[in-house]
Amino acid sequence: MSLTLDLHTPGRSWLHRLDPRVKLVGLGLGMTAAFLLPHPAHLALYTALLYALLRLAAVPPARIGWLWRQLRLLLLLILLLQPFFTPAGTAWLTVGPLRLTSGGLLNALQLALRVLSLALLTGCVLFTTKQRALVHGLVWLGIPYSWGLLLSLTLRFVPAIGKLFVAVREAQAARGWVARGNIVQRTRDYLPVLVAVIIGTLQMSDQLTLALAARGLAENAPRTVWRPLRMRLSDWLALAVLCGGFLSLTLWRAGCF
Amino acid sequence: MPPAIVATGLSFCYPPPSPALPAQQVLDGLDLQVGEGEACAILGASGSGKSTLCHLLAGLAPRYTGGHSAGRLVVAGCEVQQAPPPVGAIGVLFQDAATQLFNTTVENEVAWGLEALALPPVTIGERVMQALQRFGLLHLRYRPPWALSGGEQKRLALAALWAMRPQVLILDEPLGGLDPRGCIEVLAALRALKAQGTTLLAATLRPQTARLADHAALLAEGRLTSATTPEALLAEEARLYHAGIYFPPARWPGLRPQRPLSADPPAVALRQLRFRYPDGHAVLHGLDLTIPQGQFVALIGANGAGKSTLARHLNGLLRPTAGEVRILGQKIAGQAVGTIARQVGFLFQRPEQQLFGATVREELAYGPRRLQLPDADARVARALRHFELEAVAALPPAILSYGTQRSVTLAALAALETPLLVLDEPTVGLDGAGWQQLLLWLAERRAAGVTLICITHELALAAVADRVIALHEGRLLADGDPAEVLPRLDPEVVA
Repeated sequence: MSLTLDLHTPGRSWLHRLDPRVKLVGLGLGMTAAFLLPHPAHLALYTALLYALLRLAAVPPARIGWLWRQLRLLLLLILLLQPFFTPAGTAWLTVGPLRLTSGGLLNALQLALRVLSLALLTGCVLFTTKQRALVHGLVWLGIPYSWGLLLSLTLRFVPAIGKLFVAVREAQAARGWVARGNIVQRTRDYLPVLVAVIIGTLQMSDQLTLALAARGLAENAPRTVWRPLRMRLSDWLALAVLCGGFLSLTLWRAGCF
Repeated sequence: MPPAIVATGLSFCYPPPSPALPAQQVLDGLDLQVGEGEACAILGASGSGKSTLCHLLAGLAPRYTGGHSAGRLVVAGCEVQQAPPPVGAIGVLFQDAATQLFNTTVENEVAWGLEALALPPVTIGERVMQALQRFGLLHLRYRPPWALSGGEQKRLALAALWAMRPQVLILDEPLGGLDPRGCIEVLAALRALKAQGTTLLAATLRPQTARLADHAALLAEGRLTSATTPEALLAEEARLYHAGIYFPPARWPGLRPQRPLSADPPAVALRQLRFRYPDGHAVLHGLDLTIPQGQFVALIGANGAGKSTLARHLNGLLRPTAGEVRILGQKIAGQAVGTIARQVGFLFQRPEQQLFGATVREELAYGPRRLQLPDADARVARALRHFELEAVAALPPAILSYGTQRSVTLAALAALETPLLVLDEPTVGLDGAGWQQLLLWLAERRAAGVTLICITHELALAAVADRVIALHEGRLLADGDPAEVLPRLDPEVVA
């Protein structure tokens, strides 16, 4: 089913079993690192490392391919347009106001690799972490429980809204809707669908309010956690490796070695 | 021991849905008493206030629904109108259990309420396992709730409530929307809860549910009749009929053919129809079928047999992987769904969720206008009159009651006046009055020579068709006269 926001790919790899808090810390450090790496060659190495990480965590190539397909248009645009926005260094080609330069090309490559590495990093977390663990991790990082709950409810109900949209479209087709007219006409045809989906969503949220209240959601009421997150030795080790790596990178950038 | 539920002079009204309309008085001085450990059934038609009563008893109305209540109400020792009941004291099973499940796995769904009770993790773990085992869900523990069948979802909602050890369980139409197998599963779970001494209150329009109870009462015009045994109440067929709860087959209009069938061309001709989803899951395995014009066909079979998949091929919503579909002699390959709609009227499951018109009149006019039918306005007027919707023609469908919304969905279909009708489980969720309206319309369409193809789990409805086609795992299992086919079928296969 394509209508799902759950990116989690079931598995029991070391990355799957890693504490979500360590993964979230890693995500933060990794993203910063992507901005600290100065040269496309470094970033290419970093991207390759992240790809290897995903493969080592037994994330199937099809899943990584999915990520790639989401990004490829954006990457192409960056590679085509960015060189002309940031010209620098030797000019190789000049067409009117457009100058293709070596520096511009390097900049574009750097930006594209940075975007790719950020996406792979996010994939490392989202593909290997269950939604519930993610919410617990975020709550531990100081985000209020209600926000965490909101995130998990969104992940749960957006696909339901998508299904409602499909159902209303089908109902219209079954009563004579055929694509016709210009773009304005077609957009107008969508309006009743949007109205129906908005009404359906409001009804769903009313029901959800009742369901949460009936099962005891109260603001500031004490809650326990069934399976509290526990740091194991391997989690501490991973955290140490992450922090060590990040520290070395910062020192290197600061010119200490 | 004090009774578990006491209501005295309980009234409730909703604010008007639009300024032009009056406030809706739903309950009007209702009295009710249910003893500890008893099971009580409340029978009522659609719109009689069953769900509202459930929400009041659980302390959800008017707190979260708006509206105004009066009278005295004590449930599980709490005056629920004054203050919210303690977490977990009153469990409520919603009519649509799917809306009540909001976690991403089955086991977390059960754990959520226990976390809200702030129980120690060890206790939570024990209770989750106990509840999953008791409701037969242990093997599904890692699955997302929305991927479960209707019966499994209801059982999961029950498990999540039961794990919190409620003193009172309120059940709003516990068998609503379930197929026969789901009904059997949920009834067994409810019987077990009752045997264990949980106080149960079930609001329902199904006799099956009422039979579970120690006593039963009728909800009509905002009040309850005095409680009696379910058997005594269900025996009063005429009374249930007049309350709009039950439409006894003895009163059904004649649905037998009044015109000769015509096979030239046949209404539907399928040749070696095969269908598999893009993910490789094959549903239909080479169906050959001819349905003459004017025939009433009941399509039966268990969930997953391919009934809805087959029906969706008849108006082009799905296209065959191999094989051919002809409607009234024409190949439909290459025709848009919106074009096939001239010939085939289609009623989806849960049609009330698909209303999109700004007003009831607009809703009805959508199809005829889209298809540029010559006398669109006259068709709409006829359908409004036939389904007694003239009074609400200018109102938005979204604010109407469930029963009226169902009428609107039928009227929108009726306005198309198609020579073929394909109905996917049209009786699900209907009370007696809804059944009556549906069957009267179908009888009238039959008299006009329309071909009817009706997916149903209701064997009483299948029994009055001209022909029953039973599907099993994407193949024809039986095809013939209901009197011959139905007695031969294994109930497991059609359930």
